[in-house]
Amino acid sequence: MSKSISQSDEAPPPSKKTKMASDLTLGATHNQILEQRKSLKKQIHSLPRDQKSKVLSHFHGSERTDMSKQRLRNLREDDKHQDTSNMSDIQRHTLDKRKRRQNPALQRQMHRRETKRLQNAVAAADAEEILHTHTTGLVEVETDMERTLQLTQQQLKNDHLQEGVARNIFDLELKEYSPYKLRYDRSGRFSLLAGAAGHVSIIDQHSLALTSEFFVNETVRDACFLHNGSMMAVAQEKNVFVYDDKGVEIHRMDGHRRVMGMEFLPYHWLLATIGHSGQLQYQDTSTGALVSQHRTKMGPCGVIRQNPFNSVVHLGHTNGTVTLWSPSSSEYLVKLLCHKGSPVTSLAMDRSGRYMVTGGGDSKVKVWDLRMYKEVHSYNTYGGAPTCVDISQTGILGIGHGCHTTFWRPEALRLKMKEPYMKHQLSGKGVESLRFRPFEDVCGIGHTMGISSIVIPGSGEPNLDSMEHFTNPYMDNKQRREAEVRSLLEKLSPEMIALDPDAIGSVEESNLIQRRQRMRDVAEEADARKVEEMEALKNKKEKKRMRGRSKIAKKLARKHKNIIDDNMLKLKELREKEKAEREAERAGVGGDGDSDADDETPSALKRFF
Amino acid sequence: MKVKALARPQSTTSRSSLHDLRPTHKNLNPQSHPQARAREYTRAVTAAKLDRMFASPFVGDLKGGHVDAVSSLAICRTNLCPVVTGAVDGTVRIWDLQNRRMVASLDGAHSRNVSGIVFGNGIDGQFYSCGEEGIIKAWSIYPKGQYITADVDDEDKKPRARKGNPKSSQDDDAESPHGPLNVYRLPSARNSSFANAFHSIDHHWSESQFATASSDAAVHLWDPERSTPITSFNNLWGSDDTVTTVRYNPAERDLIAHCSSDRGIGLHDTRTASALQKTIMGMKSNCLEWNPMEPYMFVVGNEDYNAYTFDMRKLSRPTTIFKGHVGAVMSVGWSPTGTEFVTGSYDKTIRIFSTRKEGGTASHGGYGSNGTARDIYHTKRMQRIFCVGYTLDHKYILSGSDDTNIRMWKARSSEKIGQLSAREESSLQYRQALVQKYAHLPEVKRIHKARRVPKFIKKETEQAMVQKEKRR
Repeated sequence: MSKSISQSDEAPPPSKKTKMASDLTLGATHNQILEQRKSLKKQIHSLPRDQKSKVLSHFHGSERTDMSKQRLRNLREDDKHQDTSNMSDIQRHTLDKRKRRQNPALQRQMHRRETKRLQNAVAAADAEEILHTHTTGLVEVETDMERTLQLTQQQLKNDHLQEGVARNIFDLELKEYSPYKLRYDRSGRFSLLAGAAGHVSIIDQHSLALTSEFFVNETVRDACFLHNGSMMAVAQEKNVFVYDDKGVEIHRMDGHRRVMGMEFLPYHWLLATIGHSGQLQYQDTSTGALVSQHRTKMGPCGVIRQNPFNSVVHLGHTNGTVTLWSPSSSEYLVKLLCHKGSPVTSLAMDRSGRYMVTGGGDSKVKVWDLRMYKEVHSYNTYGGAPTCVDISQTGILGIGHGCHTTFWRPEALRLKMKEPYMKHQLSGKGVESLRFRPFEDVCGIGHTMGISSIVIPGSGEPNLDSMEHFTNPYMDNKQRREAEVRSLLEKLSPEMIALDPDAIGSVEESNLIQRRQRMRDVAEEADARKVEEMEALKNKKEKKRMRGRSKIAKKLARKHKNIIDDNMLKLKELREKEKAEREAERAGVGGDGDSDADDETPSALKRFF
Repeated sequence: MKVKALARPQSTTSRSSLHDLRPTHKNLNPQSHPQARAREYTRAVTAAKLDRMFASPFVGDLKGGHVDAVSSLAICRTNLCPVVTGAVDGTVRIWDLQNRRMVASLDGAHSRNVSGIVFGNGIDGQFYSCGEEGIIKAWSIYPKGQYITADVDDEDKKPRARKGNPKSSQDDDAESPHGPLNVYRLPSARNSSFANAFHSIDHHWSESQFATASSDAAVHLWDPERSTPITSFNNLWGSDDTVTTVRYNPAERDLIAHCSSDRGIGLHDTRTASALQKTIMGMKSNCLEWNPMEPYMFVVGNEDYNAYTFDMRKLSRPTTIFKGHVGAVMSVGWSPTGTEFVTGSYDKTIRIFSTRKEGGTASHGGYGSNGTARDIYHTKRMQRIFCVGYTLDHKYILSGSDDTNIRMWKARSSEKIGQLSAREESSLQYRQALVQKYAHLPEVKRIHKARRVPKFIKKETEQAMVQKEKRR
């Protein structure tokens, strides 16, 4: 029993170190254990300060599970309250003796446990160092009366957040060029602000300084970063322009006309655009080639979002449908009627690719299961139809409607929740766009009066990955250059976009019969193609003939001319018979007079007779 | 209300000084790595391409080459550098592999084709050459038979000075500092030496003894100290045909394998007068080599364009047939690791065959291989190849051909010569693992296996396929 407790009293990942250490305590004598404990304590004491605090927090955290300490405490309590009045002298004596010796067996056990906990704490701190098992941010209520919904940004800023985090709560008033669209790059380091009246600027989120700012003097409908924060595409009045981070125009893409929505697929280096014409276009930003363009045939469209799970592009249309597209098929892959009788105003997909959230003109936000293409449940919005939705890396759902923003916990996608996690009101400002900042607990809101930035604890992924290109917000220039080369080497081809991203390299589920059938089909197809080719070759030769003769019926007739069959023979016979009859008749007509002279005179002289 | 928001301290995100390593982070959550499979596959395709891009197998030739076609080649069994080659005009040349230069040219060593050369098993650098005129000569790679190295001081480690050589008095060869130390002849052949031409010579792996194969349908065993053979095996299996190849088994000290021109391959125990086993092939075998690591296996190169590995315990059928050449296989050579061998062919190409399954770890006598070449080497100028061999470090391949050149190739065509940095090595290993993981996918397979071969080889291969289909 005690053994099982001691094994389960810690939850660090079983590294080699801990295993070795626990083996040591198992067979060691008490003196050895005491020595070990001493050396461990010395070791912890000599650690650097932050490491030491980590180890100690693990050590004290596991105290609760150490049963022996509790037991000793209980025993002492019992001893204290023990009624010794009706005890014999001998009994009293043994009790005193036991008290003096302080229960040595239990003491030994305690020492053993403590050593083990020390070992485990060291190992857990080591593992944390390696695995970076940081936890997400959170808001927890401490009493029943409190609700997370009541927490305002002002309270957060004043009472709860550190200075470094609290500075992310700010408002920018930019009335002249609003409403604003706001986007972050993949690392969350830079934000791109695009004012509808032609103001484009990039803000470095670490220093909260303006990196670049320029005015295009025409309507800006949408803007997005390309592969990293150093390049961006801006959908302007007529064309899409590509600028670098200094605002220098690099490219004008004439093929994309009056674009209303853009999305960049980072692994394929594709820029997907859609606009007034309803044409979805994929442009390769590394080679500059137009990969494909599909006519959606559903009118103007500005609601476009990629599914991060499989890079399939989702479009929300004005007739309430959502269609899924890939560059390799000219038809949509899936079509969903999401909002009957009202337009789809916004959509977002979560990171796992399971859930899609759509906002409709019917003031509803619906959650869809993308594995079954069925509605899971829906939420109603107040104060206006939802204009923008976004799902954070951790799954927090943010909705902008009217002048309100509402945030739901990650569970809200799976289950219907009763009340939102947080909300934020921008009185008098219509929310235009809402985006979560990657790897931080920050949400950016673009509205009709400028820009707001708020903190939503728990919305950002806590663990970075420096091997994933362009997702490290602390990347320096050298790393960025290297990432550019590497990600170009690993660029996926556009044909690889499919609903199931893991299809490539997986084993096909088929049996021998199916395989054989398929091989037969392939062979037949090849044969058919061969025959076709042969015929095409033949036809090519025939083409040299005169005009009008190559009509199929005539050609067939010509072919049949030389075939001798029964019918043909009969016809021939018949014809000869008729000929003979005709001749005989003629002979009969001409032979009215002298038949003898008739026989001998040449035909040319016959008329003289 | 308890609130916690993400805040990353400076120390975890950026380095404190320029000399520090950049902090790295790892997120094992698969959701942080979307489309990982597709990206890994793309990396595998790139890795396969890089592997082919770096493939440059030709290292260079041994400077000067020969004057006539190179017919035989011997690589030292104890030392990395010495190589000896013999040419059709009877010249023997000694080479130093380290700088690919000639050490000495023994002009007129033989009056006809040098059909075989072999190194002794000692460290004294002795080697034996046999010619088609019926003479065997012993030489040393060190001038005047002196074997001196700076680090060896012991007197007894030096070879004995050879005195009282049973050298023939009528030997009219020009004396070279390299020898001949000894000349051996068949007693019956003193008058008509051309009738008993030697075709092959091999030295015992542990004892001071060598064996020759000759035109009189016999295998002769020789003691270096005696001018006449100590034993002769005539008419093996009652056959009068010429024995073309003879090879000692590396492990069994009394076992000899040989090929004869009656299309047979046979095993022979030198202690007895009788043969052990024999098998008859469809066509003549040109060469035979024992696997140095699995000495119960041997490979033969055949006139029917194929190489066959045999298990000596069961000669009735080969363990694997290695196909691909479009000309007779003239020579084979095992890698010292015993996991792959190289063949030189009359079709002017060298092919490397692996006896193990691709990516497999254990070699099981060639059972796992699919029997196709791992790699094909050729150049525009290289003519028919008569002799090939691996160097002792299994990194290079030597080939001697009709165009009088001796060429040096890398055994693994895309390997980088020289020291690799730790990063280079780890990325190389990762790339290899990727290619192996996705080797079954058509694109990777196509790139990985693609080899540009000369037009006539491509045509003949296609023709051979058609013929095979027809026979089916």
